[in-house]
Amino acid sequence: MAFDGKRVGMGIQGLMDQGTIPVLERVLQFTAARHRLLAENVVNVDTPNYRQRDLSIQAFQQSLAAQLERRRLDPHAALNPDAPQSELNDQLLYHDGNNRSMERLMSDQAKNALMHNMAVELLRKQFQQMELALKDRPV
Amino acid sequence: MFDVLDMGASGLAAQRLRMDTIAGNVLNIHTTRDAAGRASPYQRRFVVFSPGQGSDPARPGVQAQIKTDNSAPLKKYEPGHPDADASGNVLYPNIDLAVEYVNALEASRAYEANVTMMDVTKAMLNASLRLIA
Repeated sequence: MAFDGKRVGMGIQGLMDQGTIPVLERVLQFTAARHRLLAENVVNVDTPNYRQRDLSIQAFQQSLAAQLERRRLDPHAALNPDAPQSELNDQLLYHDGNNRSMERLMSDQAKNALMHNMAVELLRKQFQQMELALKDRPV
Repeated sequence: MFDVLDMGASGLAAQRLRMDTIAGNVLNIHTTRDAAGRASPYQRRFVVFSPGQGSDPARPGVQAQIKTDNSAPLKKYEPGHPDADASGNVLYPNIDLAVEYVNALEASRAYEANVTMMDVTKAMLNASLRLIA
């Protein structure tokens, strides 16, 4: 049988670019970016005139869902969900012009870290399964 | 993700500087002379935070600058005091202990919050690194 390099290449690429792996990757990218913003908020908790910023989980999930739906029809459709960054303006504004809320920051950061760890665990399981399939393949 | 730790470190440094400044205020609350021994009350100091790291303001973080409080000193009538003026008044630093304590508490809580954030960052990094282990 002739060695079809193109098809093998496609197979390996396809292996990594199908199922939940790319989705989990995007979730990890999102949680890392959000964690950075939340850390910046904590660091600037006493900075005058600093407005707390956040990424919208809802917008990210909706965008991801819409793109996944598109992917069902075209497996090569791009997966670049957008996560718009915004300044929070629904919180109490202190006299120094900062709208900090330590409670909200801490709960957001805990939820975000849990989401990150969940995505990492799921990704790890995916890789483990893949490894198992590769190792146990009869020669 | 690693730069989030630098960011946390800038927060820790800023809050520590704030705490040092507060300590300086509290222990100089009765200082009526300057370093050269002249009768001049200690001027209260405070920090001003601004976004951006000290080494590179373009990087996200926080930096603190020490400023001097120029409010008028407190006058106390103590004629026997060596630093009293002709009318028997001694000038004391305009420092309110209650204000300093509240600021110290705030600084220590903010420091803790930064440490917590750095712990979480480390945990997330560890989780990600376990992917390849």
